[in-house]
Amino acid sequence: MANPLKLPMVRRSLRNLVSRPATRRYPYEIRPRFEGARGTIEFDVETCNYCMLCARRCPAAAITVSREDRVWAIEHLTCIGCNVCVEVCAKKSLTMSKESKPVHTRAEVGPQGQRPGHEEWHKPAPAEAPAVS
Amino acid sequence: MIDRIAFLARVEKYHKAGWRLSLINATTIMPAEGMDHGAFDVAWAFARGTEFETIRERIMPGDELPSISESFGAAFLYENEMRELFGINVTGIGLDLQGQLYKTAARVPFSPSAIRARLEALGRPEPVAKHGTATASGTATASGAAEKPGAAEKPA
Amino acid sequence: MKRTVIPMGPQHPVLPEPLVLDLILEDEKVVDAIPTIGYVHRGLEMMVERVEYTEMGFVVERICGICSFMHGMGYCVSLESIMNVEVPDRARWLRLIWAEISRVQSHLLWLGLGADAFGFENLFMHCWRMREQILDIFEKTTGGRIIHSVNRIGGVKRDISDSALAAILLEMQALGAAFKETARVFGTDPSIAHRLGGVGVLSTEDARAVDAVGPMARASGIATDTRLIGANFYDRLEFEPLVETAGDCLARVVVRMREIDQSIDLIRQAIDKMPKGEGQPIENKPRGNPLGEVFTRLEQPRGEVLYYVKANGTKNLERFRARTPTFANIPAMIKLVKGCDLADVPNIILTIDPCISCTER
Repeated sequence: MANPLKLPMVRRSLRNLVSRPATRRYPYEIRPRFEGARGTIEFDVETCNYCMLCARRCPAAAITVSREDRVWAIEHLTCIGCNVCVEVCAKKSLTMSKESKPVHTRAEVGPQGQRPGHEEWHKPAPAEAPAVS
Repeated sequence: MIDRIAFLARVEKYHKAGWRLSLINATTIMPAEGMDHGAFDVAWAFARGTEFETIRERIMPGDELPSISESFGAAFLYENEMRELFGINVTGIGLDLQGQLYKTAARVPFSPSAIRARLEALGRPEPVAKHGTATASGTATASGAAEKPGAAEKPA
Repeated sequence: MKRTVIPMGPQHPVLPEPLVLDLILEDEKVVDAIPTIGYVHRGLEMMVERVEYTEMGFVVERICGICSFMHGMGYCVSLESIMNVEVPDRARWLRLIWAEISRVQSHLLWLGLGADAFGFENLFMHCWRMREQILDIFEKTTGGRIIHSVNRIGGVKRDISDSALAAILLEMQALGAAFKETARVFGTDPSIAHRLGGVGVLSTEDARAVDAVGPMARASGIATDTRLIGANFYDRLEFEPLVETAGDCLARVVVRMREIDQSIDLIRQAIDKMPKGEGQPIENKPRGNPLGEVFTRLEQPRGEVLYYVKANGTKNLERFRARTPTFANIPAMIKLVKGCDLADVPNIILTIDPCISCTER
């Protein structure tokens, strides 16, 4: 039987016992994400010109755009965070924020049957103010 | 049809010279004009240090393909996969897993008929065969200029 | 003697990914093992029919979470060969640096899992704590901890400033120094020597016969390393394949530990040799559609990965095949399992560094 004091991990174990935990007490402590982290896509409905490039280039088909109805919608839970839509948008309407996507724990369904993670912007005729749903 | 004796002798020469089996890959060739059924392009890739060579053969569906398990024992995984996904009739595999390797929903997902059914469901015509030439040995790198640049819809 | 059949898997505490081995035992010795895989088969190679070649890179880098960067890099390198795209120098250096950081991260993950396979959870947690620093580096530079999405056909999408590179090098070297303590544990702990020493011995001839790749082959005396081909700027760095001759599980542990130090040295060499300065081009966008086919070989942490890409002039590729190193090492694993004790089976399965998601795509 080996002498326990000669086991090389013992010193590290004793140090672990008296030092602070290496893990974070999530969700009570949340590490802020680093700058440039891929989080959620944010959309500015004012500048969009409905060219539909983002919807065409999205690899996960998470963006749906309708030029006639002037609707721009994204499924956040389908989005893979690849940043291609941000790169191709000519009007710079899309940005990638570093905040993590919201967590949906139940299969919530919105009044129009939207799935969890679905976010939609409507831009009616220029006379009215735009609405977010 | 593949000449079994000559092919196995060629593979055994690689084995004796110390080459390592790197890949056995099958590609489905969809039937183009002049062909009444599809085919498979099978590549055996061998590596020795920094050297790399391939054997390429074109197989018709139903043709018998001899297994190279006697020279390269590790070939059984690739050959089981070829049989299960492509339907290529490989005979004499060292460890025969009887079609239980991958549990796919469709039986032979990469056979020409299955691929055609999926492409039609997607509403796309079959791609016109404009293949780069496949060399029989040597590093099979065949690059050519694109012939339909207009298909790209995005500006650079 | 009576034989018992014990099915190991698909869910098992030591397996990182599902794998079934039907072990046929006589008393405590394994006489035969029948593998079944296919539990993580997602049909990613079929995605070429649906997804255009510009988007396929995102699918390919999601084949596996551990080897994610090199999958993305391999796909982009293959398409760049087909389309004759000249990648800017800085992009190639950045890819090399990220690839080596990814190798360190993968080996640290494996060392933790290898320790966990025989119950040394303390060491497992310690290795993974060190690995967290690397994942933080990835998040700062690429935006994602596991899936990086920085590789594009023609270059990379994000640059790392020279000051950030210097800081990364200091962090990695500090990690390498802190890792020495862990390496000492692996080297001198009597329980590790007992559980891994002499177990799963793969002789040099056997390693050649089963076509082993990567650290499996290097620990059995074969000096093979795909980076020696010299592609992707590896020919500008000085390194040698690290070879051990014992061929047992402990030798594979030693090979991977030494590769961590080697990778940190390669990162230092790369940062030295990179062209310095701000505002250099990092992407050279291709035009048109690819036409042609190519075989590309890279050295992933687990061994040689081989990509075969065939393009036919349309926006969809015709065939994409990724033959990952674990696919090539599974025959070695089956050979090693036969004849060992039942208690050694988890160690032997872990010793090939199984990445079953990569194997089954």
